[in-house]
Amino acid sequence: MIPAILLQIVFVPVAFSLFIFLFRFQLGKKAGWVAASGLVYTTALLIIALIKVYNGSPIYEEYPIVINPDIRMALLGDGLSIAIALICNILCLALSIYSIKYVDHRIELIYAGIDQRGEISYYTRFFYLFLLFPMGFMGVSFAADLIVLYFFMETLTIVLYFLMAYFGYYERVRVATMCLIWGIFSAILFLAGVLIIYSQIGSFQIDQIHHMSGNPMAFWVIAIILVGMFAKLAIIPLHVWMPWVHAEHPTCIAGLLAVYANIAAYIIVRVLVLPLWDDFQWFGPPIMVLSAITMVYGSLLTLGQTDMKRIPACSTISQSAYSMLGIGALTAASIEGGLFFFLSHVMAKTVFFSTCGIVVYTTHIRNIDHLSGLGSKMPITALLFLCGGMMLSGIPPFSTFPAEVIMFTGIFARADTFGIVIGLIGLMAILLTVSYAFYFAMRIFFGQLPEALANNDHIKDPPLTMTVPLIAIVLLSAALGLYPSLIMTLFEPVISSVIVNM
Amino acid sequence: MLFAWLCLLFPLIGVLLTPVFASLHPTLRDYGPVFFSFLTAVSALMLLPFLFHDPTQLPMEEMYVWLSTPMQLSFGILLDPLSIVVTNVVAVISFFIMVYCLGYMKGNPSIMRFWMLMNAFIGSMLLLVLANNLIIVFIGWKLVGVCSYGLISFYFRDEKKYWIGGPEPYEFDKPTVCGYKALVTTSVGDMLMLGGLLIMYHYSGTLNVLELYQTAPEWIPVMAATPGMIILVSVLLIAGPVGKSAQFPLHEWLPEAMSGPGPVSALIHAATMVKSGVFFIARLIPIFYYGYWTAGVADAMYFFYIVAWIGAITAFLAASQGLVALELKKVLAYSTVSQIGLMMLALGVSGFSQDLLVKGYTAGIFHLVSHAMFKACLFLCAGTVIHAAHSIYIHEMGAMRKYLPYTWIFMGLAALSLIGVPPLPGFWSKEAVLIATLESEHYALFALAIATVVFTAFYTMRFLGMVFHGSASGHILKQGQKTGHHIGEGYRTQTFACGILAVGIVALGIMGLNAQHLLHDLFEMQLVQDLAMPAIDLVPKYPIILVIAFSIGGVVLGVLPAYFFFVNNKWSIDSVFSRHTILSKVHTFLWERWYINKFYNWFFVSGTVRISSVVAPKEVRYDIIVNRQFPEGVKAFSSSVVADKLERDFDITVHRHLPEAISRKGNALINFIRADAKDLSSNIAYILALTIILTILAVIRMI
Repeated sequence: MIPAILLQIVFVPVAFSLFIFLFRFQLGKKAGWVAASGLVYTTALLIIALIKVYNGSPIYEEYPIVINPDIRMALLGDGLSIAIALICNILCLALSIYSIKYVDHRIELIYAGIDQRGEISYYTRFFYLFLLFPMGFMGVSFAADLIVLYFFMETLTIVLYFLMAYFGYYERVRVATMCLIWGIFSAILFLAGVLIIYSQIGSFQIDQIHHMSGNPMAFWVIAIILVGMFAKLAIIPLHVWMPWVHAEHPTCIAGLLAVYANIAAYIIVRVLVLPLWDDFQWFGPPIMVLSAITMVYGSLLTLGQTDMKRIPACSTISQSAYSMLGIGALTAASIEGGLFFFLSHVMAKTVFFSTCGIVVYTTHIRNIDHLSGLGSKMPITALLFLCGGMMLSGIPPFSTFPAEVIMFTGIFARADTFGIVIGLIGLMAILLTVSYAFYFAMRIFFGQLPEALANNDHIKDPPLTMTVPLIAIVLLSAALGLYPSLIMTLFEPVISSVIVNM
Repeated sequence: MLFAWLCLLFPLIGVLLTPVFASLHPTLRDYGPVFFSFLTAVSALMLLPFLFHDPTQLPMEEMYVWLSTPMQLSFGILLDPLSIVVTNVVAVISFFIMVYCLGYMKGNPSIMRFWMLMNAFIGSMLLLVLANNLIIVFIGWKLVGVCSYGLISFYFRDEKKYWIGGPEPYEFDKPTVCGYKALVTTSVGDMLMLGGLLIMYHYSGTLNVLELYQTAPEWIPVMAATPGMIILVSVLLIAGPVGKSAQFPLHEWLPEAMSGPGPVSALIHAATMVKSGVFFIARLIPIFYYGYWTAGVADAMYFFYIVAWIGAITAFLAASQGLVALELKKVLAYSTVSQIGLMMLALGVSGFSQDLLVKGYTAGIFHLVSHAMFKACLFLCAGTVIHAAHSIYIHEMGAMRKYLPYTWIFMGLAALSLIGVPPLPGFWSKEAVLIATLESEHYALFALAIATVVFTAFYTMRFLGMVFHGSASGHILKQGQKTGHHIGEGYRTQTFACGILAVGIVALGIMGLNAQHLLHDLFEMQLVQDLAMPAIDLVPKYPIILVIAFSIGGVVLGVLPAYFFFVNNKWSIDSVFSRHTILSKVHTFLWERWYINKFYNWFFVSGTVRISSVVAPKEVRYDIIVNRQFPEGVKAFSSSVVADKLERDFDITVHRHLPEAISRKGNALINFIRADAKDLSSNIAYILALTIILTILAVIRMI
């Protein structure tokens, strides 16, 4: 067995990051492949860990940091965290490969006229910053200690700030600052909740939170942390940062941004729903209402966009709310379905977003009113876009379909009029998703090709390093859609069996 | 059982191998997919012996666990008379359509995509039909929708020659828009249906078809305990078939769904897609029948009422629209909508009484079979005709009989079957539907059905006359004069496929009554013996001859005027219109499809666009408030109030007033001490103060 497997999974990317930083001028353009190879290693570790967990034993590792107050680097790999970590890590890997060409192109555009050394400096900077993302995601997934969880969440916000400020679009520094402030807003609320928990139970360990149950302060803990996490998930009315941030950052981290936002759903389940089950009941219906409103509103907002990059951004608002809808319904199936939808959504969003990025990359046009008929010149991109659209709208064989089925089964299992009404509204929101996904496919890729685009020889399918990772994700999503039992078997001991005993 | 699995496997292999074939050789690329379709058809035929030799083995089921937590779902195959009959219709007719495509699609640059989509389409439909679990049925259902989307918008470049609609000055529709419309409209039904399935799952605890049947008398009453729940679930479940089978009020996508290549329309209208709704209703019937007749839940009857009424209304509505359409394929499309309506009607009335169960069920499925054959033939012939005439409009054809003699015969036979001329199969199956409807004693439904028969006869004769008879239109004459252009039959594969289907129609017609009896016995065995559904066999209340009289009378009533108007041109349609202005009003009303399409466009499409165009600026406004005005407000507050006022005052206090005060007081103190040092009394006070302070410090130290 590999020693300290979880610790390795979290910190090996940091080691690679450091390596790239130290040898940046020696590595030059190879930095992207170095980053990818680091992630290949951690993915392999994750698969080994997953097999172990699948066969029935969670992995727990603990490294003391501070004795008093008791803060431990405690990492827990159970079915839930391993599944989430694996999918996120695979997305990181895919996007690191996608970035290899993309970042090159981006630097040419933003820092035109820079010398060779400066160019390499920027290029490598992207990758050593990028590698802190997998660290953050793995840390958040595995953290069994609230302070550790908080630390990794904050790290993500800061890394995002730098990446956006260096490599984003037009208003990158302003938007990066905005994003940082929103990120800190939710992190502060989270920290406040954590400190209240500590004041009541004297521990930062997640497995101790259940001692809070029944405590009058539990209500406030849930309320404060929920508001913070809603800001991350972009639930109405805390969604305004999302279109900006998603529109202005470099497309190659788009998928990770979807994870960044949506992983809050996992945190809510881990920190609030499972330990404080009874206290959380009160919050179920309001969450469902807010989520349903966000789903519909976000989809309508998406339909109204004309900016290529704002389309997926607004769609994320709507899609993150799906997971929250499932969690808010508070049945085993709905929570498992909601979290499965989170994983499916981030895969879908990675494909959808990155394909939009490919279109912008090749055409340099962001306004879809100027685009049409690209399908004949970029068939693979068109196919990927359609697959992304199908993945978003829950069409089999992609994994969003079983996720939706399980989630809505859970919602209807509440068996009250409220659940049925909200459930049907949710299903109609999916209809809106179908509408916008295929509407944009029609607008961008179908129809007659304008003269200007037809004569532009640069418009063609992008290099393989950009398409192959996305194809791999499409196939992964299809595989999980055809065999959802894999994920569900992993979730079962962590969620269903716990809830049954409540 | 093996052959049933093969029915699913062969199309899938066909899809996967097509790119490989395409890279090897063009001939292999074209014949390979057709060969897999052939294998599928053969596998389907191998299921037939179950029906004839040993029907007692049925139903057979084979399944594997797909999902065990948090809900139980199995993936498997269910063979019963219904699935075997429909599987054969799908696989065999699809194969002939594929053969036709060999000629029709020759030379198309995107043919590889075409073959892949066609096989995927057939495979998805078979998955839908053979699945043993309603969620798996739903997966097939969604895949059928996606494949149809791909095929309807097959000409995704939207070249002008592929536009449909019109003619000038009416609007045209582009293929991609038609595909999008089909996808979204059917998705409305799909999503509601998914909701219905999952709510049903909550009560039944299973979605396995046979388990649902067996346990229905137990969980339907539980469901009925919540008022309105049965009706809600019925409506939701019916919404799916209504969308997929293009029934009112979700019928508007189908008339535009023929923007893809000709054979695709044949596939959608005849063999796959729109039949899935009928099939699904047939799958659901036992559940609600048990609910009403065994468990005595009165609400369950609404399911049958809704189905029957939707069917009858759609049949009438679509047939009336078919009276005026000018595009050949659109006439046929309206006719499909209308005929599916008749099938729905038959299935709906099957629940009205215990006597009608088997009769209605048989009539619906029998009409499905016969309609599949003649509609496939009609669409394939229409493809040839349109290709030859270089026009999609029937008023730009005329006298095509002399150019397309074979197609004339084949299409004529199929059209007569659609009209319901004995002894063609359309006559027998329509007869069965009418009998079941009349026996239900719902005379309004019967009247709608008879009106549909009259309309059907009229529009069928109309397009036959306008296409093949009369005098050649200017357009045809112009085409004939073009050098290098020849108006004539298509490739041999095309004519062959149409011919085989025509032969099939005649054969089925001759065996008509036998086939009907066979189906009747099979379904009786399935429903009454295997599933033990309560049924009785009553003596018909009305003599059969009455129905035949109604039906033949209706046909004659429709055919005769059409014959005089369009075939031998004795009467002139224009003079009739000029004499009766009301007629042209009716014409406009029908041409505009009862204004339903316009209304939907205005309400749903423009409505959604309007809402989103309201939402987007609101969002911008909100965004400005939160992300710009709020930070700016904070900044203004901090500079004007915090920085300029509070902080400055504080600053002045701490850094100026305080030191000044300290130094002032310090001076005063020093002066005081200095001054007071001169006399004794103040020295005593000074020493006393020092002592007190030291004592206090000492006490603190000791504690």
